[in-house]
Amino acid sequence: MASVAFSDIEKSFGSTKVIHGIGFDIADGEFMVLVGPSGCGKSTLLRMLAGLEEITGGTISIDGKVVNDVDSKDRDIAMVFQSYALYPHMTVRDNMGFSLKLRKAAAGVITERVTRAAQILNLEPYLDRFPRELSGGQRQRVAMGRAIVRDPKVFLFDEPLSNLDAKLRVQMRAEIKALHQRLKTTTVYVTHDQIEAMTMADRIVVMHDGRIEQIGRPLDLYDRPDNLFVAQFIGSPAMNIVNGTLRRTAGSAYVEAEGGTRWPLAGAAGTDGQQVALGVRPEHLVLAGEGGHAVPGDVVVVEPTGAETELLIQVGGAQVTLVTSGRPMVDPGARVGLAIEPGMAHVFDKATGQRLAA
Amino acid sequence: MNRRRVVAEAKLLLVGIPVAIWTLLPIYHLFLFSISTKNEAFSGKLWPDHPTLNNFGTVFRQEHYFLNHFWQQLGNSLLIAVAAGALTLFVATTAAFSISRIKARGGRLVLNLALFTYFIPAAFLAVPMYKAMGTYGLLNSQWALILAMVTIAAPYSIWVLKQASDKLPYELDEAARIDGASPLQLFRLVYLPLMTPSLVAVGTYALLLAWNEYLYAFLLLSRDTDITLPVALGHFLSADDSPWELLMTTGLIYALPPAAIYYAFKRYMVGGLTSGAVKA
Repeated sequence: MASVAFSDIEKSFGSTKVIHGIGFDIADGEFMVLVGPSGCGKSTLLRMLAGLEEITGGTISIDGKVVNDVDSKDRDIAMVFQSYALYPHMTVRDNMGFSLKLRKAAAGVITERVTRAAQILNLEPYLDRFPRELSGGQRQRVAMGRAIVRDPKVFLFDEPLSNLDAKLRVQMRAEIKALHQRLKTTTVYVTHDQIEAMTMADRIVVMHDGRIEQIGRPLDLYDRPDNLFVAQFIGSPAMNIVNGTLRRTAGSAYVEAEGGTRWPLAGAAGTDGQQVALGVRPEHLVLAGEGGHAVPGDVVVVEPTGAETELLIQVGGAQVTLVTSGRPMVDPGARVGLAIEPGMAHVFDKATGQRLAA
Repeated sequence: MNRRRVVAEAKLLLVGIPVAIWTLLPIYHLFLFSISTKNEAFSGKLWPDHPTLNNFGTVFRQEHYFLNHFWQQLGNSLLIAVAAGALTLFVATTAAFSISRIKARGGRLVLNLALFTYFIPAAFLAVPMYKAMGTYGLLNSQWALILAMVTIAAPYSIWVLKQASDKLPYELDEAARIDGASPLQLFRLVYLPLMTPSLVAVGTYALLLAWNEYLYAFLLLSRDTDITLPVALGHFLSADDSPWELLMTTGLIYALPPAAIYYAFKRYMVGGLTSGAVKA
């Protein structure tokens, strides 16, 4: 178990800079997820921590010790790859025991630790099989087993669930989380899937173009995104964004969207006439009666999923999504009134994308 | 079978039968000579009146002037072929590993330079090679032929192995590194086992190349006790009255080991030698 610290990390491939001075700490035992769209540098960051990629600038420390010039094998880390990277010519048992064998552990110790890891992961019946004889989920578990056997300071996961089908992905997600709760080993997990990030992480690092957009606990990111990027990246269905101009009159404020639609705000920051992006999560939009301050819109599509109903609504020039746990009696084409739940509007500066403090 | 398939089949046979005859006739001829007596050998019959295995006895017992060193020369062929095969395998495997897996600087350049040697036919290089071996004092040493064969076989072998090892996922190397493997352990415990089919193919290729070599063997070796069997067979033709039946018998014997090897490893040969030639 160990803490990890990134300090001013930079990475260039040739003349292309892909990571621009990133710094953050991971606490001992924490499950940290790096998330972002492809090409944001999250995998590169993980590979630098693993020692598979040179560090151009800055330092990485594990347990307070700078490891920039330490070989992968001496960093006491274990990594699970997207492609599993199991040795095809070795049985499950040999795959899992390989690292211990290289470290010249006694045969008894190897057997004992492989057996224990196999018990944890329900792999006992498969110990003498070859990877080609296993299903995708089983291979994934073997890859995790190979990591567990080492009892490393830090677990690294590089998009480990991307090659699995949707159902298995949900199952393995829970297994990895349960495993972490059991072993409490510091974990760094890379994914492009914000749902994985939300469901598994203690804290999330949202990355974009080689920079950190925001670090925080999953629900904090969801409830209070620092900027437009995080607002749109986290959450499914995605947050509704309406561009417009902030208007302040005596005692009230609203966003005037293109097309003249007025979205009333309760107590927003910002100055009169400022160009803003108004963000509202689909579940924070409610159907209100027409008239008054309600925003008028026309229902385009109704998508009932049983537990929830999703409405796509045309409001002025914009389309917004509304999710409700009820089963509203509306048909496509119907005119409805919309309101934002009090305190649930997010206002971002249009030019910088930063949240306006409120 | 409908009409169209009959026509298609007929066309195939029309091409296939001549090709088969074309290929098999010389081999049959070889076989025919080997079971004929000296007098019957040129009789022009499709099957001798008195087939005999005496020729084989004569060869095995070395009972002819040209065959005085038959076993020795067969042994030379074997030694040189195995040595050339093993050495080529070693050179090509380590080269392919460092070019493809360790990504040594300049690796591609080395590979391209090696392949460039194929632009010049091997026959043209025979004389320079002779001079070079002379400079190193290796003439009349079997090492000269072994090294020459390795030189000729290595570029193609490196290329085949490099293509094959490019197909191994790089994550395996990274996983092994994190698991604590040194480059040598990676080579021995992960790389070699996974490359086995290609290694068999390349080793066999180099071995057979050396086994069948005539020109370089003829140039670089001269003592009767040093030469390989193909060179000795060439000597048969220097006589006015060549013992054709013994020449063919020896030739048939010499052709059997490659056939056996090819048959044993054909599973690897076809896959191994073409792997990487096209994107799978």
